Amino acid sequence: MTRQFSKQLHACRHAVLCWLLLAAMPPMLQADDPPAAPGSLSAVDHPNDVGNAIDLTWEPSPDDRPDVKPPRVIQYVIFRQEVDGDGEWLPVGEQTYGTTTYSDKQVERGHSYLYRVVAVSPEGARSQPAATTEPATPTMQWFRKDRAWFAIIVVFVCGSVVLFISLAKRGHDLYVRPIPGLEAVDEAVGRATEMGRECLFVPGIQDINDIQTVAGLTVLGRVATHIAEYDADLDVPTARSLVMTAARETVEASYLSAGRPDSFNEDDIYYLTDEQFGYVAGVTGKMVRDKPAACFYMGAFYAESLLLAETGNAVGAIQVAGTAMPSQLPFFVAACDYTLIGEEFFAASAYLSGEPFQLGTLRGQDVGKLLGGALLLVGCTVMTIAVFNPDGTAAAIAGFIKNHILGGAGFLP
Amino acid sequence: MTQRQLDPDKIDVILATDCGSTTTKAILIQKVDGHYRQTHRGEAPTTVEEPVADVTVGVTNAATEVGELAGRKLVDENGEIIRPAQGNEGCDIYISTSSAGGGLQILVTGVVEEMSAASAKRAALGAGAIVLDVISSNDRRRPHEQIQRIRELRPDMVVMAGGTDGGTKKHVVKIAELVAPAKPRPRFGGKYRMPVIYAGNQEAAALVADTFDESVTLSVVENVRPTLERENLEPARDCIHDLFLEHVMAHAPGYNRLMDWTDAPIMPTPGAVGNILRQIAERNGINAVGVDIGGATTDVFSVFDGVFNRTVSANLGMSYSISNVCAEAGMPSVLRWVHLDMDERELRNRVKNKMIRPTTIPQTLEALVFEQAVSREALRLAYLQHKEFATTLKGVQQQRTVGDTFSQLSSGQSIVNNMTLNLLVASGGVLSHAPRMEQTAAMMVDAFEPEGFTELAKDSIFMMPHLGVLAQVHPTAALEVFERDCLIYLGTCVAAKGRGKAGKPCFRYEIEGPSLREQGEMAVGELKLFPLGPEDRARVKIEPRRGFDVGAGSGRPVEKEVRGGTVGLILDTRGRPLVLPEERTTCRQAVATWTQALGLYDD
Repeated sequence: MTRQFSKQLHACRHAVLCWLLLAAMPPMLQADDPPAAPGSLSAVDHPNDVGNAIDLTWEPSPDDRPDVKPPRVIQYVIFRQEVDGDGEWLPVGEQTYGTTTYSDKQVERGHSYLYRVVAVSPEGARSQPAATTEPATPTMQWFRKDRAWFAIIVVFVCGSVVLFISLAKRGHDLYVRPIPGLEAVDEAVGRATEMGRECLFVPGIQDINDIQTVAGLTVLGRVATHIAEYDADLDVPTARSLVMTAARETVEASYLSAGRPDSFNEDDIYYLTDEQFGYVAGVTGKMVRDKPAACFYMGAFYAESLLLAETGNAVGAIQVAGTAMPSQLPFFVAACDYTLIGEEFFAASAYLSGEPFQLGTLRGQDVGKLLGGALLLVGCTVMTIAVFNPDGTAAAIAGFIKNHILGGAGFLP
Repeated sequence: MTQRQLDPDKIDVILATDCGSTTTKAILIQKVDGHYRQTHRGEAPTTVEEPVADVTVGVTNAATEVGELAGRKLVDENGEIIRPAQGNEGCDIYISTSSAGGGLQILVTGVVEEMSAASAKRAALGAGAIVLDVISSNDRRRPHEQIQRIRELRPDMVVMAGGTDGGTKKHVVKIAELVAPAKPRPRFGGKYRMPVIYAGNQEAAALVADTFDESVTLSVVENVRPTLERENLEPARDCIHDLFLEHVMAHAPGYNRLMDWTDAPIMPTPGAVGNILRQIAERNGINAVGVDIGGATTDVFSVFDGVFNRTVSANLGMSYSISNVCAEAGMPSVLRWVHLDMDERELRNRVKNKMIRPTTIPQTLEALVFEQAVSREALRLAYLQHKEFATTLKGVQQQRTVGDTFSQLSSGQSIVNNMTLNLLVASGGVLSHAPRMEQTAAMMVDAFEPEGFTELAKDSIFMMPHLGVLAQVHPTAALEVFERDCLIYLGTCVAAKGRGKAGKPCFRYEIEGPSLREQGEMAVGELKLFPLGPEDRARVKIEPRRGFDVGAGSGRPVEKEVRGGTVGLILDTRGRPLVLPEERTTCRQAVATWTQALGLYDD
């Protein structure tokens, strides 16, 4: 009896202990419970687009808190129902916990949609949904207002181009900074004339489809005009047959405009070879033999740049080079008397021709560059100040520049 | 021409004349207490034109006047200069310059206008000539136009250059083939054979000689541009001088006789002025600028780092060319220097009156102020032209480094640098005969805009031509007289280079001298004059603010000893380049303040 009573007492103790243990572990007991539902959900048309997106915003579930460990919400699932459709709720996307926005980009312009968002626990239990009450309809906007600054800057730059072209056409004298390299053409041709030697013109080693070759031929026109006026001698070896043809026409036009068509000799412009170093050997050999007094290198150059320029320097020529190949510029600068650097080379045609269209475009581009430079300067200054005073006006301006004038919503793509 | 052997130690009395277009000026230089001094001066009308048509008559008259003033008989009964000096009679040497009949007029040709033709022009100008025109391969005239032009001109000689030695022959011969058939006609005499100096490619000389017939006298001299890197002007200059005497002077009325009288070759007046300026600059190791403003032309001479340049601004002068000055500068530019209220219409009338009556001198304060305003513009424009001409050689190969990427300076830059200018010498009626020395100094400072420390002087009685030719035979006497009697030192101008807002501090100054001790600060836009006598010197320390330079660089102090003068020490903080206010009333106020600061006119 006593032994039986002891067994009963033990069983009773065991039951109390189990009950106490269960009472002490309520979460474990609630593990399959769904999390609390997210708060009010709103769906609006995505602004400044062609009507292919709807933006959703909701309040997080009360269980979606960083202090809850382990987290009770692992993600949100977004459902969509087309108002005029079959009434089915389709899952369209998921967002991780802590996120309360979503942009649905799988909608069709003009259709209306309702949305629901549910919070999901780590075990997969889903909360009650938060739902929109009003349908959202994606629509198209004609203007992207967020890119207004981009539009302002484009209009400003293009407007200045148009304005300067118009001013140039009306006879206003548009000042273009003298380019020493082009001013020196006179001097180089003069030297060749006084010394009774020829002027060598190398239009690069690329074909006519290279923009630098085209710019080089523009300069050749100017050089040839001077040579015709001075009655000096010209020598143009080319590395491409098409360049030779274009150069011949350019030079002939120059001699004609100088009033000396009889002095034009098409054999002065000739084809040498397409082979890079074969061409170099041919040209430098001629330089050493004939000792030209003026050498012009205008176009696209590669490894031959220094070979040509050094040979010209050694024979005592005044040398004027122009190229947009950054890697070759230092060689030309060091070995030549004058060098047209990159943009200068392209600006040369506008400078030389004096045509209103080209001059106006050149000036308009300069305005754009000036604006870019000014923004850069202001931006750097403001950002620097903002670092030292994060809550001041400078920080506000910096933010505005970053978010509105520049950045994804501004000038930059 | 008598070329006697002269012993410099035995020369005590020197007679020098300068035969100008209108007057012949004679000066007497005598040894006084062991030093050569200019003692007397006389002048008489030049008699190169009809009815006299004999230059020696004017010379004799001027010499007689000097003789009478000196109590010394210089001309004998036959009207000839008595030499050598004996007791109270005669002189040891007689020398002369000449610019009568318009001076020496030269036509210049070359291959490239900025290269060989420019060198030939420099040689001609340096020899004291007026360059009538420059014909070159690239002057944009068609051959028939060039021939037409050569035929229209009546030069005294032609200077031809072109090609380096071993350079082009084609172009040189082409130009010769233009000159030869054009047959430029000389100014004097039907029997005159046009002197042609060829100073070009030596290899082409024979070809050029073949081009000309016996109607010209061809002289071949060394190339003015043997290589493009080097200029060689002396042989051409010397040849110009020789031919000037042999051909031009020999055909001018009375010059044959005058050449017999002189003990040194007659030089063109501007050539002589350049000669003395060059010698002074060389002897003292300084950079100097001289100006001679006349009625029709303005000559500017400069010596910078030993390189001599001369320009003639043919249309800038104070009487015949005064209208052109006003037209070229513009009446507003002239009026900005006038602090009085003047009616522009009345001023235009004044200008035209001066042009048709060139010898009149201002009778009222307004007329004087206006004339001096015009002179400022004439001098400024002439100096600008000079700066453009006095350049480094063009067509020279440049040596560069990668560091020069963004500063590719072209050749042909002006060598005239006001910061390194030490001495500025003025001559010519409007400068020499200004009622007050301060006015002369003010005109020079306003027109030339000297920077840093610059001594100002004027040629007292336009003696530089005489001394220039004297320097050829007796340099000691010439330099002594130049220092003691020729130059009247006006003082020193200290000016800061840079620009600033009016009223902002420009520099601090400390002046320490036996008779002057001052210190203070000057603001931008001020002028101050401190009295410092001709015999006085003072140490001046200038501490400029950043952005202003007085010779040592921006903001760096400079201390120097300065020479005094009849005007004194001028401190100028108006900035360089000198810009006057555009608004007329403000400009007048500013100019009035400066006028008052220098005491230019009576109130």
